[in-house]
Amino acid sequence: MNFVTNILEKITDTLNPIVVKELRQAVKGRFFSVILMVFLGVMLLTMGLYLTSENIEVSFNAGRNIFGVLLSILLGTCLLFVPAYAGIRLGAERSDANVDLLYITTLRSRSIIWGKFLAALVLTVLLFSACLPFMTFTYLLRGVDLPSIFVLMAFIFIVAGVAVQCAIFLGCIPANRFFRVILGVGWLVAVAASIPTLSIMMYGLLTSGIGSQMGTWLFWRTALSVLVVGMALISVFGLFSTALISPLSSNRALPVRLFITGSWFLTGIGTTIWSIASNNLAPVAVWVAVYVLLYSIGLFVAVSEREHLGQRVRHSIPCRRWLRPFAFLFYSGAAAGVLWSSLMIVLTLLPIVILDQRFPHMWGGRFYDEFLVVMLVLPLHAFAYALGASIIRRWVFANRIAGGYTCVIAIILLNVATMIVPLILFFITGTWQKLWLIGSPIGTILAVQDTEYHLAHSSLDIAIIGALIVFAISIPWFFRQIRNFQPPKQDPVT
Amino acid sequence: MQINVNHVKKHFGRTRAVDDISFSFSSGEIVGFVGPNGAGKTTTMRILATLDEPTSGDATIDGISIVEAPENARQLIGYVPDALPVHRDITVHDYLDFFARAYGLASTQRKQVVESIEGFTNLTGIREKTLYALSKGMKQRVSLARALVHDPPVLVMDEPAAGLDPRARVELRELLRILSGQGKAILISSHILTELSEICDGAVIIEQGKIVAYGNLEEIDGPGPEQCTVVIRSLNRQDELYKAMLIMPNVAAVNQLGDEIEAKITGSEDTCSELLEILIKSGYRIVDFKQRGSDLESVFMNLTKGVVQ
Repeated sequence: MNFVTNILEKITDTLNPIVVKELRQAVKGRFFSVILMVFLGVMLLTMGLYLTSENIEVSFNAGRNIFGVLLSILLGTCLLFVPAYAGIRLGAERSDANVDLLYITTLRSRSIIWGKFLAALVLTVLLFSACLPFMTFTYLLRGVDLPSIFVLMAFIFIVAGVAVQCAIFLGCIPANRFFRVILGVGWLVAVAASIPTLSIMMYGLLTSGIGSQMGTWLFWRTALSVLVVGMALISVFGLFSTALISPLSSNRALPVRLFITGSWFLTGIGTTIWSIASNNLAPVAVWVAVYVLLYSIGLFVAVSEREHLGQRVRHSIPCRRWLRPFAFLFYSGAAAGVLWSSLMIVLTLLPIVILDQRFPHMWGGRFYDEFLVVMLVLPLHAFAYALGASIIRRWVFANRIAGGYTCVIAIILLNVATMIVPLILFFITGTWQKLWLIGSPIGTILAVQDTEYHLAHSSLDIAIIGALIVFAISIPWFFRQIRNFQPPKQDPVT
Repeated sequence: MQINVNHVKKHFGRTRAVDDISFSFSSGEIVGFVGPNGAGKTTTMRILATLDEPTSGDATIDGISIVEAPENARQLIGYVPDALPVHRDITVHDYLDFFARAYGLASTQRKQVVESIEGFTNLTGIREKTLYALSKGMKQRVSLARALVHDPPVLVMDEPAAGLDPRARVELRELLRILSGQGKAILISSHILTELSEICDGAVIIEQGKIVAYGNLEEIDGPGPEQCTVVIRSLNRQDELYKAMLIMPNVAAVNQLGDEIEAKITGSEDTCSELLEILIKSGYRIVDFKQRGSDLESVFMNLTKGVVQ
């Protein structure tokens, strides 16, 4: 017995301490115990009701029907309660002094996030194992095969993993209690709304005999895609969460920007090859749209970053001058973030221009022009509004508003251009014109949709002029931050 | 082991929470960190504990910079924050075990360390209780035990005696004395200055982010005319004694404190001795005549203005 205990001790030594702590708390706490008991009770009740009400002896689909219902219960529990448990716990910990206690240990932010995630996954596995006997029993009732059971449960497991990591990410967002409650309720509504859709989708897969398609390439291609997308989402949320809980004194931008740049590069290569091989520009176009949107959002996030680097980050700045311009792009800081996002937008748009010139038969024509206009207008507007907000914060509010709220000002500006100004003009004139949306990217999209290209191009011109003006005003701001990007001149300790 | 705080500044926007402070202390010393609310004590302690980084300046622990190598510095510091642990669903033992794991202690060593710390802080009897169910004094013990779990040579304690009953305070004081005896360097902040006076070897007095005095209590009291305070209690003629003291030579001030009289004497210990002799010759039945040392509370009141930023 001692031997076994020692072996178990050795195993737990290798585990992330956060996993051990979270699981101990889950076992000793009431919340998860209650969830587990209710879950088992509902499973048992559902099974009992079906067995007593359905004509089991003559039905060939009794097993499938019961399995579908049990699957929905499992899905609901794994998507609602486990992520909520993980997210709320992290959110609560972030709002008191406990997180400080974690930081003074040698644990890294990454370990904290992945520990929480793994602990939540173990709880998910516990729920899965609790429902497995019921699932297996449905097999005996006919209408469902074992491969289908395993495939669908694997699918739920991936979705649950994404939901957990998303909830952890929301729990990491630094906000006051009111905003946290709003976020939490929004998340719960979104997840609750997705459960019926996912249940119907899974029942569809079940009736189509998903398990019997395991020998086909289509099955494995789809399964691999789901797995890759799931892993990518888990990684992205994990990275963002880690960056959010990392101390301000660290270079929080580095892992996020490295990951996004790496995934941008790999997916860019993949979609370009796909486009050339299939003689279709669509894969690259999707890639461009996704990354342009991501980097445009990145501009809003970037202007909210700090403008002065702390001592710890400055100590890690490369001493070699030729390395600094590259390093600058991957360091926390508002100017660095804006430059990195802008550079990545330019690099993202390049392949589509090159491919269109090299292979004009691929796509070409009007659709290409429309796409390019929208893809240019989006980031240019984002650039103008983001930097405009930064200028307003510095000049109008004289830095009285914290840098972290610059994105809020940018969102307000965007809303003014998209909603307030057009509404005011509508009430003044009593008529509605698309021209009033010229200062908003939505106006461009609507103009392209309605084939009013002169409006779309005017919107593009406005975006270019706006971006150039804010850039010109911000040149000293950029230079100041670039100039300050150097390691401390001398050791402060003498 | 030497802990040096060198020209540390911490600015929050336009507020200078800590403004160019420097001090040092070493192994076996207990240093009181004293100042009015908002003086910058907690900020300085958080900087030392590597939780915040200074705007400029640095602190070194045994030569390790908290700015350049915070991960290494953390191994040497045990930090007791002013907030107490309040988890509902974790027991004292599991809590300490978790931190022992977080500091990388392997199973055998971890078990021994946690048990010995539970014993040292008198937590063995309540190790299976959840933190939420503990009294403030017990939570404070848990907080101290957590800070000791990786056996750090430096302890930084922010208001550890706040809200404790007298018995718990005495016990905390005893624990700190033992830890100091073990060679740990302790920086402790508290508003209960009489407590600090009894256990501290020195003090750092801070106000508006700046150090107003630093050193041992005698040094802090500063150079000036040689002066001492004596407390006298007589079994007879107490009212007369007060009046007599007022006209005695070298007596600067007299205070009646219940059945005791506190007198400020200008002069050395010889002057005090002469005064006692005069009183006895005058027929007073003196049963108590004690010299009061430098009092942190009076030093603090003399040096600070109570201005908050």
